[in-house]
Amino acid sequence: MPRFGRSQVVRRRRRGSGFELVLSGEMRQVLRNLLGELEELLVAEPNDPSLRRLHPPAYLDDDESDAAYQLLAGDELRTSRHEAIQAVVSSLDADELTEDDLWNWMQALNAVRLVAGTRLDVSEDDVEPGPTGPDDPNAPMWAIYGLMTFLQHEVVEALSG
Amino acid sequence: MAPTVMPPELSSPDADILTRPDVGLDEVTDTDLPWIVLVWNDPINTMEYVALVFQKLFGYSKEKANALMLDVHHKGRAVVSSGTREKAELDVFRLHEHGLWATMQHDE
Repeated sequence: MPRFGRSQVVRRRRRGSGFELVLSGEMRQVLRNLLGELEELLVAEPNDPSLRRLHPPAYLDDDESDAAYQLLAGDELRTSRHEAIQAVVSSLDADELTEDDLWNWMQALNAVRLVAGTRLDVSEDDVEPGPTGPDDPNAPMWAIYGLMTFLQHEVVEALSG
Repeated sequence: MAPTVMPPELSSPDADILTRPDVGLDEVTDTDLPWIVLVWNDPINTMEYVALVFQKLFGYSKEKANALMLDVHHKGRAVVSSGTREKAELDVFRLHEHGLWATMQHDE
C-alpha cells in the first residue's frame, strides 16, 4: 500500500543536512516564468489591485499611522519579496536546497498564491474552490493557484519534518 | 497601570516608593506594554502555512502555533504577540513579509 503524504518534490537528504529538489526541467521553467511574471507585475504595476494582499494595512483605525508605516515598510517589503523570488529562481538551477532556500520558497510561492487567489476572488465560502469546468476562462489561473498550493504544501511538509 | 498585587513593603503609608524603585516595578513594566499584534483570517493562506509561520517568527511550539492558528481560523483573528510599538511594528512587518494580514493596536 503506498504511503500517502510523503513529500515528492522536496526530500530531506538521508545523509547530512539539506533537501533534494525533485522537479522536472519543464516544471522548473514553469516556475521561472511565473516568478518572472510576478516580478514584472511588482515592478511595473505596484498598485495593481491583485497585489493588495502583499501590502495590507498595519493599522485599522489610524490612517495617519498606516500611511507612515506603508512609507517606512513599503520599500523593505518589496525588497524582501524581490530577494526571495530571486533566491528561488537561482535555486531552480540546482538540485539541493538548504532550509533557508525553503523559507524563500515559502515566501515566493505564497506571493504567487496571494495574487492568483485575489484575481480568482477566492472566498471563505467556496465549498469547492476551482474552475467551473474546462471552458471556465479562469481555468489557467486556477491551475496556477493549484500548482502553487501543491508546491507550498510540499515545502511545508519538508520544513515540518 | 497599577500592579494587581501590592507588595507588603509598600502597603505601609510610610513606605517611600521613590527610594525603592525596583520593588513592584517589574510587575508594572511586564504588564504595561501597550501594543498588541493581531493576525486576521483570510481565505487564501492555508492553515498549515500559517501555523508554520507562527512557529518560525515567534519560536512558538507546534502546539501553541496550531492553537493560535485555529483561533485565527475560527474566531476571525487572534493576538499573536505584544510589546512596545517598535516591536509590534517589526512583528507586523515580518508577518506581512510572509503574506499574512497582521495589524497592530493599543491593548485595551
